[in-house]
Amino acid sequence: MSRPVTLLIGALGGDGGGVLCDWIVSAAQSQGLGVQATQIPGVAQRTGATTYYLEVMLARGLSSSVLALNPAIGEVDVALATELLEAGRMIFNGFVTPERTTLIASTHRVLAIGERMAMGDGSFDVGRLLRAVKERSKEQILFDMDQAAEESGGVINAVLLGALAGSGRLPIPDAAFEASIRHAGKSVDTNLAAFAFGRGHARGELEQAVREHRKRQAAGHGVEDLLERARRAFPAASLDMVEEGVRRLATYQDKAYATLYLDRLDTVQALGSPELLRETARHLAVRMSFEDVIRVAQAKTSAERLVRVRSEVRAKEHEPLEITEHFKPGIEEIAAVLPPALARRLIGWAERTGRLGKVYFSMHVRTTTIWGFARLRFLASLRWWRPRTFRFVEEQAEIERWLSSIRAAAPLSVDLAREIAESARLIKGYGDTYKRGLQNYHRIADEVIAPTLAGRMAPCAAADAVANARVAALADPEGESLSKTLAAIASSATLRHAAE
Amino acid sequence: MLDQPQLPVAQRTNPERSFTEEVRALRLGEGEIFRGEGILAVTKAILQAGVAYVGGYQGAPVSHLVDVLVESQDLLDELGVHLETCTNESSAAALLGASINYPIRGCVTWKSIVGTNIAADALSNLASPGVIGGALIVIGEDYGEGASVIQERAHAYALKSSLWLMDPRPSLPTIVRCTETAFELSEATNTPVMMELRIRACHVTGEFVAKDNKPPAISRNHRLADPAAHNYDRISHPPSTYAHEKIKVEVRQPAAERFIVEHGLNEFLPGKRSDLGIIVQGGITNVLVRGLDRLELEGRIPTLVLNVTHPLVPEQIADFCRGKRAVLIVEEGAPDYIEQAIHAILRKRDVDTKIYGKDVLPMAGEYTAEVVTEGLLKFFAQSANDIDLSKPRERFEAARAGRTEAQRLLGGPLPLRPPGFCVGCPERPVFSAIKLLEREVGKVHISSDIGCHSFATLAPFNLGNSILGFGMSLAAAGAVAPVLERRTISVMGDGGFWHNGLLSGVASAMFNRGDRILVIMQNGYTSATGAQFIPNTAGNRRDGETTSDIAATLKAMGVKWLRTIRTYNVATMLGGLREAMNTPDKGLKVIVADGECQLARQRRIRPQIAAQLKRGERVVRTRYGVDDEVCTGDHSCIRLSGCPSLVVKPSPDPLRSDPVAHVNNGCVGCGLCGEVADAAVLCPSFYKADIVQNATWWDRLKWRVRSSVIEAMAGA
Repeated sequence: MSRPVTLLIGALGGDGGGVLCDWIVSAAQSQGLGVQATQIPGVAQRTGATTYYLEVMLARGLSSSVLALNPAIGEVDVALATELLEAGRMIFNGFVTPERTTLIASTHRVLAIGERMAMGDGSFDVGRLLRAVKERSKEQILFDMDQAAEESGGVINAVLLGALAGSGRLPIPDAAFEASIRHAGKSVDTNLAAFAFGRGHARGELEQAVREHRKRQAAGHGVEDLLERARRAFPAASLDMVEEGVRRLATYQDKAYATLYLDRLDTVQALGSPELLRETARHLAVRMSFEDVIRVAQAKTSAERLVRVRSEVRAKEHEPLEITEHFKPGIEEIAAVLPPALARRLIGWAERTGRLGKVYFSMHVRTTTIWGFARLRFLASLRWWRPRTFRFVEEQAEIERWLSSIRAAAPLSVDLAREIAESARLIKGYGDTYKRGLQNYHRIADEVIAPTLAGRMAPCAAADAVANARVAALADPEGESLSKTLAAIASSATLRHAAE
Repeated sequence: MLDQPQLPVAQRTNPERSFTEEVRALRLGEGEIFRGEGILAVTKAILQAGVAYVGGYQGAPVSHLVDVLVESQDLLDELGVHLETCTNESSAAALLGASINYPIRGCVTWKSIVGTNIAADALSNLASPGVIGGALIVIGEDYGEGASVIQERAHAYALKSSLWLMDPRPSLPTIVRCTETAFELSEATNTPVMMELRIRACHVTGEFVAKDNKPPAISRNHRLADPAAHNYDRISHPPSTYAHEKIKVEVRQPAAERFIVEHGLNEFLPGKRSDLGIIVQGGITNVLVRGLDRLELEGRIPTLVLNVTHPLVPEQIADFCRGKRAVLIVEEGAPDYIEQAIHAILRKRDVDTKIYGKDVLPMAGEYTAEVVTEGLLKFFAQSANDIDLSKPRERFEAARAGRTEAQRLLGGPLPLRPPGFCVGCPERPVFSAIKLLEREVGKVHISSDIGCHSFATLAPFNLGNSILGFGMSLAAAGAVAPVLERRTISVMGDGGFWHNGLLSGVASAMFNRGDRILVIMQNGYTSATGAQFIPNTAGNRRDGETTSDIAATLKAMGVKWLRTIRTYNVATMLGGLREAMNTPDKGLKVIVADGECQLARQRRIRPQIAAQLKRGERVVRTRYGVDDEVCTGDHSCIRLSGCPSLVVKPSPDPLRSDPVAHVNNGCVGCGLCGEVADAAVLCPSFYKADIVQNATWWDRLKWRVRSSVIEAMAGA
């Protein structure tokens, strides 16, 4: 019997996979080709993944042969995916094969919930996906269809239809696909534009400028002499970090603070490892520019930010925009900007009276009103006061302890020192997040780093242990993984100690 | 109810999608070509068969049957077909009671196995006296990939109640023919007929030659002057039931067997290998045929396709098997009812054909292309080693090896995409609040239910200890609550409340003075099945009148502790939950969590807003955003929400590697992220943006003055 062309579509709920399927069916029918389609929408209609399966006869007239309802491994001619992980899923399930399958997929990623909810970076390795895509399919039509959809003003399913038409894998002329879009009657113009984009990309007639992700450098004026000092003192490989650190801290506080940054780095430079210097430079700059209300106010009232918000929320040029900020400072945030003695008394009182972590002041500040903006601007102007605050004093002490453990670890094992530097990554955020991160760091410092520096654990094993504990600390907010990992580290250290 | 006469048809629009094309297909006449999905073909076929009434309860994959008819009120009016959108399957099954006493045809539909479970009592009492008008039950067999219910077979119900079960080959002409013939079979045997359609069969596209729709002779357009005469034989009550039991096996079943043979309902596919044979459920035929094709054996093995899987016709089975060395039974799901029956049939007739089935095919699980191919390879290897299958086997093994290689390249399992709450879903904030409550009081036993809210059992919430069925969450906590220190929380949708929860849950808890908490998600629709209307759907949401109000119903039932809370207000919701947890009140505590289904709401308001904008009216568009410079990439906000529009993007900070949170353009401005940031004291990254479209001169003036001052004040 003459074999049908088999097509498998993987889409996310909301991508319009069903409509895409309908377009293909109606285009095939218009050519008198036998066609059958079915789908598994299930409960996945909301945010989950959906699949559609089609068989199209190449000859005219419905063949008497039975068309299948299920895709079979190794027997898919064209696989279409509206997103890269879904292409990966079809490959993972064995449907896409280098002998047979043309893979038409968008290269953009829509992260799954498990990837998004991770406490750090939980996204699946795109390199692996792309490698599998290239090695496990016969031909590929790959481009960022999400971007193409946006540029054409249409929806991704129409781009995919265009790419399918452009692939030439079905004996259906472009006009028939276009007619099915017209026949469906919804958003015809934008869908036709998206179709043309998809077809153009598939045929290599269009070039796609890769959507760039730009890092934003801190402004940092008047620090040329400090940058010059850095260039003289530090290896070239670390300069991107160091220079950014200098600029950021000068903006965050002042030139003296940026000088302190370089002074601190000099002591790390003396340890002789350029990699260690680079990592420490990175984390030290982040730690020294800790998030307090003054910094938040600075960020929220910069001229650049207003422009950014307008473009992010897609406000048109003539459209008035109102921004409302959600703040909820508690007693600790207030104490943070008081002088240490006063702050300690306030926190002590709040602890005694059970108010700590309970009493918060909910503030919705409208930064597009003059009064709202002025209030934040006033907070931002308190920079000069910052070195006198409780938080500043506490942070500097923490930073010094961290730096000294790096310095102490480096002679034992550079790897260990680098892992300690990297562990600063745990300390971030606001409120509970900040407290949890700091606590986790302290647990690692007390239970792994301190025993190693005291000679009770082998430095090379400790480097791995710190890395494992750091990963565990980011595994769950309840700290269960960290507890388990630390317990395992402790018991293996005891064993090794006993064995020695 | 959807088909209230006072509601103008034009206003009765299903918010999920519009069925204009489908409605047109139902009007096709003699000789015209119908093109569409399997379930729509069934809908057309029942009209061609002259049904007088249709009913059902929504659920994938058969919701469309009733949904499309709801929008076809004009056609139903012309034909005189009564449509009832039932509040549960039990009520749908009871609808078929009309065919016990009156020669009118009826069709009802629901999702199986769950719907059949609910309907079981009515089905037993229907099957016992039997019917004089054709009665068809279309069941969506929600089995295999994409299924959302427990994996059991509806077959058991056919066996125990003596209902006939059709499992048509998934091609539209066959499905249509089976549907039409089902009514004749039902009338010829006085027995209701079930027709099962799997997910892919419901959605399969195809075409068939249509016939004219048939207006029923007796209908709401042609009423009977008098009710049926009293006939105790038609009442399922002793002693009639003793007679019914005998009639089922002595009269009805033999009649059905004759009918099946005479009408050629089961199909015979010929093949040269007369020593071998395959018996297959109609619904699995396509997978089987393609499997044989893969082994280059298509058309060579005689095959009996069972479009009717109960009753089997013993002589037909025996005749097929006689003289064959080996026959394979391809029967999906457990237990192997058909295989056992065939063994008994052959044993009684001393037919010594070797039967293969669940020994070469798996006992449980979906019969996919791969599973069936592997089973066929085993079957032929054991029963016919003269057939050389080395090449197909090689190809099959190569495809499997390729998959292993692909999995190695990808390095372990891919991130899953479990279903979750939509952007702006009103149910999400309730679970955010429950998570925050647990931070205060510790873990709580959560009794979950069927509906969108069951997605809370998945990431990122991972809340829920059990699901006992639709509307069962309150009842399911009945014996848990007394043994726990902390009160239990049962979550139920308004769909589940009207389906079952009101009586099984609330009435029972009141009656037993249950010290429990019930949260009812009042979103106004059965959203998970396609946003069908329910008794409490508020007037302003459907332009019609509300039949029943949940809070009023609860009050009338004597619920004392009752709060209605707007779901998006997380702090208030948290306060309500906290109070319910701590109050000395020992009775049932109910929180009606109110918020319209966002999917339905968006479909409703989007065209309205577009029209307003076009008319030049002032419209404020609200959405949320995250300051990427303030966010440090901990993603607490995502763990407490999981909104699809709350995503991550690379940090703009050259010194940080963790991606930061980002609100994409899917945001509908529900405000949850701001509420959560506030209630959970997360971080100051979130902002609300109100964009004024078609601004007035006053808006513009204010904005210009403010902007110029602010720009002057702004920092670097």
